Amino acid sequence: MTPVPPDDGAPAASPAEAAARPLPRRAPAAAVAVAAPAAAVLLVVAVGGRDPHLVAQAVVTGLLLGGVYGLVSLGLTLIFGVLDIVNFAQGALLTLAMFVTYVLVSRAGLPVYLATAVTVPVLFAVGWLVQYTMLNRLMSRGLENQLLLTLGLSLLVENALLLGFGGQPRSVPEPVHGALRVAGAVAPWTRVVAFCGAVVVAALLYGLLRRTRLGAAIRAVAANAEGAALVGVDVRRVYALTFGLGTACVGVAGGLVLPFLTLVPTTGEQFTILAFVIVVLGGLGSVGGALLGGLVIGLVQQVGGLYLAGDGSLLLVFAVFVLVLFVRPQGLFGSRG
Amino acid sequence: MRRTLRRALVVTAVAALAAAGCGGSTSPKAGGSRGGSGSGPITIGSIHPLTGGLAGDGELMDDAVKLAVDDINQAGGIRALGGRTLQVRSADSQGKPEIGQSEAQRLVQSGAVALVGTYQSDVTLNVSAVAERSRVPLVIDVAVADQILAKGYKYTFRIQPDASSMGRTGAQQLAAIAKDKGVPVDRVAYLHESSDFGTSVFTAFRAEAGKQGIGEVTEISYNVANFTDATTQVAQAVAAHPDVIVATGYYADSLLIARTIASVRPAGVRAVMGIANGAFDNDQFPLDARTAGEGYLSTNYHFDATDSEVVAIRDRFRQKYGQPMRTAAVLSYQAVRVIAQALERAGSTDPAKVRDAIAGSTTDRPLLAFAGPIRFDDTGQNTNAVPITMQVLSGQVRQVYPQQFAEAPVRFPAPPRR
Repeated sequence: MTPVPPDDGAPAASPAEAAARPLPRRAPAAAVAVAAPAAAVLLVVAVGGRDPHLVAQAVVTGLLLGGVYGLVSLGLTLIFGVLDIVNFAQGALLTLAMFVTYVLVSRAGLPVYLATAVTVPVLFAVGWLVQYTMLNRLMSRGLENQLLLTLGLSLLVENALLLGFGGQPRSVPEPVHGALRVAGAVAPWTRVVAFCGAVVVAALLYGLLRRTRLGAAIRAVAANAEGAALVGVDVRRVYALTFGLGTACVGVAGGLVLPFLTLVPTTGEQFTILAFVIVVLGGLGSVGGALLGGLVIGLVQQVGGLYLAGDGSLLLVFAVFVLVLFVRPQGLFGSRG
Repeated sequence: MRRTLRRALVVTAVAALAAAGCGGSTSPKAGGSRGGSGSGPITIGSIHPLTGGLAGDGELMDDAVKLAVDDINQAGGIRALGGRTLQVRSADSQGKPEIGQSEAQRLVQSGAVALVGTYQSDVTLNVSAVAERSRVPLVIDVAVADQILAKGYKYTFRIQPDASSMGRTGAQQLAAIAKDKGVPVDRVAYLHESSDFGTSVFTAFRAEAGKQGIGEVTEISYNVANFTDATTQVAQAVAAHPDVIVATGYYADSLLIARTIASVRPAGVRAVMGIANGAFDNDQFPLDARTAGEGYLSTNYHFDATDSEVVAIRDRFRQKYGQPMRTAAVLSYQAVRVIAQALERAGSTDPAKVRDAIAGSTTDRPLLAFAGPIRFDDTGQNTNAVPITMQVLSGQVRQVYPQQFAEAPVRFPAPPRR
């Protein structure tokens, strides 16, 4: 066992405290989430018996990859936390975002990052429509109704893309060439951009939720939809806006990962399972949790991959996931509910 | 807590439902007489992944089966059976073994005299079991795992080389090219995807490498189901200070590796080579990888680009379906030819007789760059199936080794570029 997952040795809010403060400052959890992987990495360097350059590379790659994971998970955690919808279509929507960007790049000749800026509102509109026309009808029904609908949606999107574009792999030329070199490790610029995008989106989302009237309305609906409706919040509109925001995050992700991934109608799928793991690991509905959870998973996968190659790195990811849930069932940043 | 549990249960239930829902229907269409009795078209079943992540190649292969059948029908059908025509029934394996199996059953029940498929080793294993049980021959176009033919089945035939032959020949051709050019190759770093496919090719390569004087082979494996960044793996490969980096994998992961090698810019690496690699000898690869792919070698089964008939077939394919006809699709085309030839020889649509005819026949002038005519041994393996080596030269995939198939001289060393 190399990467030590956050354990309950560090101070965590007691259940009573957490219940008293639905949205507490989670400094202890954040400290654990940052300190534990850092300690694990140091441990690996000290006693792991691997070339320090390799470890440095694995850490850099893990952080960059974790940023991408976090970016994909941000939208999912928002939808999960506010709407209580398990959105199985997140991966398919990521693929859709990549195809929208791809078409803008290859047909309209836009630079890929400019195309991303166009993709985001498109995906927002798609998400808004899905929630407003379909999911809103099911919000009062059981959880499984919404789940089945998103699952059906993912099959629909994937196969519509297959029908329209075929299954041939596609890619766009790299918009920025070369790589940044940090401590002997290589960080390709396209991935650095994606990582920065993740941080910016997380900050924007956090600011939106904390500092704006819309954010207050979203939080109110998340806490108590009926109460929010009673004080004049249009709950259905907030639902649609939230789902739209969630898919807009995927829109950013799609555009930023397109330069380094090969695009087929199933490309988004490989992120779906990990995104769920990250959202639950970080705590349902927690923006910071999704980003940090992504970084933790990226690090575990890459640094762990130095020791357990092939299928082993995924095994480690799930081992850490189970362990964290065991000691902190509400996730790193979740409040007990 | 209770709500969390309920949610987990629902998620699990839906996931199970989804898996079951995709299970495909196996409504046993009591398909009349085998292949139609006496008159009417003879059915050939084609099983490939038409949806899912491998749909791209699956589509091409299914199209190639159709093109081959059209060509044979236009040339007068099966003469020994009074010019009866062929027809294709296509099935979608979705890339899943259990679906492939049920679809194979459906095709057999609807009267197919032979099956062509399936592109994936695990799917092929299941389909070959159905073929054996139903006594309907299966001609494998693409599926590499050795174990498919290790079961002693009588109804399964394979045109392409198996995994161990690919790994072995890869090591031999690498050593031969290096020796020709007087460049020593002592250390190899080998990146491969971690399923049966990559592992078996790698194992065969390592066994042969020792005999060829390649002293050290470093293994780095990755899981293709979750492979969106290759930097750590490539760094591990480079840390072994290899003379040559070898890679075995599918298209997307191999392209990722090529791009990563270009950004890492390893010093001292003399060449990058694919063995049974899904990307490096694909015409799309130089377009996607740009200069990063220049000089890449690839030992793989390949259509014979020096054969004018192959060139003509590929031209027609491109006109008809708007896509380049890749080697996998040429193998599908070839598989239909083998079956048609067996029908001629058997003079019957009885699948058991067709099977005997396939086992006993020799197909001259294969469309693939093989060592000789297609001829099956007792296990059903084409004994003359060998891979050849290609290289990306000025943005084009060219055959370079051995000499009899060479379109251009091999360039070696060919260090990876930025």
